[in-house]
Amino acid sequence: MADEREVLVEVKNLEVTYGSGRKAYKAVKNANFTIYKGETFGLVGESGSGKTTIGRAIMRILPTSGGEVFYKGQKINGKISHALDKQVIKEIQMIFQDPQSSLNERAKVSYIVGEGLMNVRPDLSAAERDEKVRQALLDVGLLPEFASRFPHEFSGGQRQRIGIARALIVEPEFIIADEPISALDMSIRAQVLNLLRHLQKERGITYLFIAHDLSVMRYISDRIAVIHKGDIVELADAEELVTHAIHPYTRSLLSAIPMPSPRRERQKKLLVYDPSMHDYSTEAPQWRELRPRHWVLCSASEAEDWCRES
Amino acid sequence: MKKNELILSVRDLNIKFNLRGKILHAIRGIDLDVYHGEVLAIVGESGSGKSVFTKSFMGLLDSNGSITSGTIDYFGADDHQPIRLSELKKEKDWLKVRGHEIAMIMQDPMTSLNPLKTIGDQIMEAVELHQGLKGAAAREKTLEYLRDVGIADPEVRFKQYPHEFSGGMRQRVVIAIAVACNPQILICDEPTTALDVTIQAQILELLKEMRVKYNLTIILITHDLGVVANIADRVAVMYAGDIVEIGTSDEIYYDPRHPYTWALLSSMPQMGVKGEDLFNIQGTPPNLFTEIHGDAFAPRNPLALKIDFVKRPPYFDVSTTHRAKTWLLDPRAPKIEPPAAVRMLQEEGK
Repeated sequence: MADEREVLVEVKNLEVTYGSGRKAYKAVKNANFTIYKGETFGLVGESGSGKTTIGRAIMRILPTSGGEVFYKGQKINGKISHALDKQVIKEIQMIFQDPQSSLNERAKVSYIVGEGLMNVRPDLSAAERDEKVRQALLDVGLLPEFASRFPHEFSGGQRQRIGIARALIVEPEFIIADEPISALDMSIRAQVLNLLRHLQKERGITYLFIAHDLSVMRYISDRIAVIHKGDIVELADAEELVTHAIHPYTRSLLSAIPMPSPRRERQKKLLVYDPSMHDYSTEAPQWRELRPRHWVLCSASEAEDWCRES
Repeated sequence: MKKNELILSVRDLNIKFNLRGKILHAIRGIDLDVYHGEVLAIVGESGSGKSVFTKSFMGLLDSNGSITSGTIDYFGADDHQPIRLSELKKEKDWLKVRGHEIAMIMQDPMTSLNPLKTIGDQIMEAVELHQGLKGAAAREKTLEYLRDVGIADPEVRFKQYPHEFSGGMRQRVVIAIAVACNPQILICDEPTTALDVTIQAQILELLKEMRVKYNLTIILITHDLGVVANIADRVAVMYAGDIVEIGTSDEIYYDPRHPYTWALLSSMPQMGVKGEDLFNIQGTPPNLFTEIHGDAFAPRNPLALKIDFVKRPPYFDVSTTHRAKTWLLDPRAPKIEPPAAVRMLQEEGK
């Protein structure tokens, strides 16, 4: 079913290393996944798991140390041609986690939002650019008058909208949203999630949605990949993953989701994941499709045990 | 002090800040009773005044802010003499309250520890100051606290510095320091916001254990209604410097009455249905620099009644433990159905 869809981004054996020599630290080891056009692909993990690193590597903010990233069939990591570079800059955009630190405090909103256009659309006049900024602000539910103000005049939710407008203005096809709502208040979170969903519906944008919170993921994503210490351990459709989690790490994440229900909370059992439970000394773990379209990183004996349990 | 005795009582508290000549009315007439041994959660968005409110219990308001009227009384002192916290002025008097009667855990464990001192020294400082122990005895006690908060190898960890600890472990250390002060009331200001979901659940478990072991009353501040269902006995919902609804956690989750509580519950992604919009609260919280007429939530409330814009609602009792400030509870008010997500929770509560 999904396999008939058009592949937009393909990540193959991706490896990202920080530092070099003795200090080298592999933050991402051998990550593999594909993102289909028009879907929301969720990447869940705890802090330090490498989820942001993957996002940044696809965005080309970080250099990769191994593996390949394909965008529309073309390899985009490492050295690429100038024309492809231009195309990728225009078509892949990012929304950052913290709206307090991701906006230039000294620039007016019109410049923050319009800056990308100077780069990808040098043919536009200043007036045309202003018109585009107006439109982008309207699209994210802000008033066009805000263009002449500075970031400090806005609340957290409004600042995040400015960040979204900044990404949207160059009309990207693929947006990497790195924890776009975790710094926001409850009521504002819902506003931003709704906004992202509407934009996707109207423009067919594809998202890579990075977050640590599975309850948000279940709501927003079509498929979810769970990452632990640089390894993707489980990958499936969102509902499938939440209702039939197989890998113990995913199950521990699920057990920790806070539910707005005192009775269910009182009965809840917290599962703690202990990575030392795996014995991979004799048999290296492999990707196995344990249920239809549901992939888990495990050894053969584990696959048997876990399937029996669930 | 016995369980469920009144330990803290706030009456008609008003706090104002002076910001460059403009007056910000941060707390607008709060009444609250806290009982010994309970976990009370205070839930609200940023800017609702939940931190300011609890900081006033410890005399930690910024120098441009003050209690302009109302009282805070504390009944937990060893000599059974009530202390009127709202009238304490001298630092010397506050020192008797801070730590020893009321202790606080801040949101960010990265900034609440001293990076230049070992973990052991920081906990031992509290032990020496508040329990009068010295030398080996203090050290022994410190190790015991480290063990209590679930830190393995306490002897080794004792000599380590904060940067050698992960976020969750640091928050455990902060909890150990607070508990080492031997407080009656522990105020936790967003203790898990900076942490991962799995660590968050573990820290909440730890707070539950600590409450039983050290006989604590816990006031837990959070912006996330999902987090507190597990741990809270009672929940107070704050909006624009006031507690708009308070009740036992079953009452707040399964039978909420205030439209703001409805809105908060329905906007949680946990309650969302895939492919449909999440419920969201339009607009932004009111500006507290200007005087608010009527119900502060009315401008954002699509269900608001006419009277909401004119007259501030008083508390209406729903049960002996549950009350809310909304005109919807007036017998003359029209019957209004709560949103779908809330009806789902009501069903679950039956």
